[in-house]
Amino acid sequence: MKRVEVKLSLPVVAPLLDVIRELSCDLEKNLAAPQALHDLDPEFRGAWIGELLAGQNDDLRALLALFGGEFFSEGIVAFDETNAEPIVRACTAVRLHLRERRLKSLSDESLETGDIDMDGLDEITRKAFMCYLFLATVQELIIQHLDSSIIGS
Amino acid sequence: MLNDPVNLMSYVVMVFKKVLGFDETKARRHMLEVHEQGRSVVWTGVRETAEAHVFSLQQWHLTAVLEPDEAR
Repeated sequence: MKRVEVKLSLPVVAPLLDVIRELSCDLEKNLAAPQALHDLDPEFRGAWIGELLAGQNDDLRALLALFGGEFFSEGIVAFDETNAEPIVRACTAVRLHLRERRLKSLSDESLETGDIDMDGLDEITRKAFMCYLFLATVQELIIQHLDSSIIGS
Repeated sequence: MLNDPVNLMSYVVMVFKKVLGFDETKARRHMLEVHEQGRSVVWTGVRETAEAHVFSLQQWHLTAVLEPDEAR
């Protein structure tokens, strides 16, 4: 089984976990990307959203499980074929929710380019933006290193 | 498919390959179309299959909509 281990800086990443946990709680009952489903029968729409929500919650649990004992003792997180896909999806869910809840003051263009003056941000926004970047880095790591053997195409 | 400012280009390409079975070139073409024009028609065909694709894309948090053919 292909497995990638990454050593993270505990002092940098640990404070971001509070943000991830808080937003994950927020997402328990809300889709990260609300979808337009006007064309569906109302009953079918309810089941559709319920299934998306259940999958989103499973994915978020996989992301939170990444930061267990090995992370807090060694700073190490590990990706393999069992957690890669859920974690990539969960990172997107949290990033979408961060944009909605914590990064509204930043323009979409700034978020896309990452061209932001960190010193000009207040503490809450700075932490949220660092979390946004960290989760993007996790996604890039998984996509680059765990190729089609794990993220099957 | 509709554009959003959050998802990474590499992520969108990966999802198109995985969900829609696109090769790298086709996936990148559609990703760029979404990015530059705001939307891209990524699949057309019978409604049941279209619904399945929309659901899968939404599981990956992409903004996918189902439209009747005459709407385009």
